Amino acid sequence: MTEITLYHYLFVGLFVFVLGFAGSIVCKNIIKVLICIEFMLTGVNINFATFAKYCGGSSADGFVMILFYTAIGAIELAVALYIFYFMHCKKQSDNIEKYGEL
Amino acid sequence: MYNEIIFYSASFLILLFGVLTLVSWNIFYSLISAIIVFFTTSIFFWLLGSEYNAVIQLAIYGFAIPIILGLGIMFTNLKKDRPVKFGFSNSKYGLILVCGIFILAMIYIVLISLLSVPEIFSTQIIFDEFINPHSNFMVFSKGIFSNYVWAFELISLILTITVAGLTIIKRVGRRAK
Repeated sequence: MTEITLYHYLFVGLFVFVLGFAGSIVCKNIIKVLICIEFMLTGVNINFATFAKYCGGSSADGFVMILFYTAIGAIELAVALYIFYFMHCKKQSDNIEKYGEL
Repeated sequence: MYNEIIFYSASFLILLFGVLTLVSWNIFYSLISAIIVFFTTSIFFWLLGSEYNAVIQLAIYGFAIPIILGLGIMFTNLKKDRPVKFGFSNSKYGLILVCGIFILAMIYIVLISLLSVPEIFSTQIIFDEFINPHSNFMVFSKGIFSNYVWAFELISLILTITVAGLTIIKRVGRRAK
């Protein structure tokens, strides 16, 4: 079994990011779009941790950035869900194409 | 050897359940798959030597965010023949949603506040022996409270504004009705 290198982690992070990016474009369900946006943030976090481990030396800046990104992702999700809830009460649908006008 | 096995197993789970999240017809199954992806990501953080980020990933992405998303799915999965009213029941749902946001904020604040007392953790022999320098609480504390203190304060401010703002919007909407 080969040794785990920087590129192994980067590939997984890239896959999660691309999965989230593709899903946020393709999916019509707004909950699924929000999940995909969280996937994108998760992919970015994996890259932060990878570079902090392999290229960061003794500093933990990448790990600290993960804390901030996690908080931003949580805030963004909370606000988006709240807006979605009120829009759903008016539009009666979770199809994102019907949410063109706020 | 064990790290390789764990890495490839976790990668396989992420690939499998990440794709299942997108292709699942039922949104609830998508959410379950996403939870598994988030849990597996915490294993990556642990492998990369950051146990603290792994715990935060488990607490926020593994528990808090799926709860909020699950509540969102339940509240919006209404039957077609049942008219939606802006009465007491929907206000109750909105209140529960705000409580979820509060729980999210509390988890974040509690985890961050642990960093403000780094001496407790750094002086313990067990932690000193097993935690590598990357995940040491002293390093996190130095990063947050000295190098990135303004970013940390800004995040705290945004979190507070979000919670307070959503509550105010809910109250204003109720008065308008």
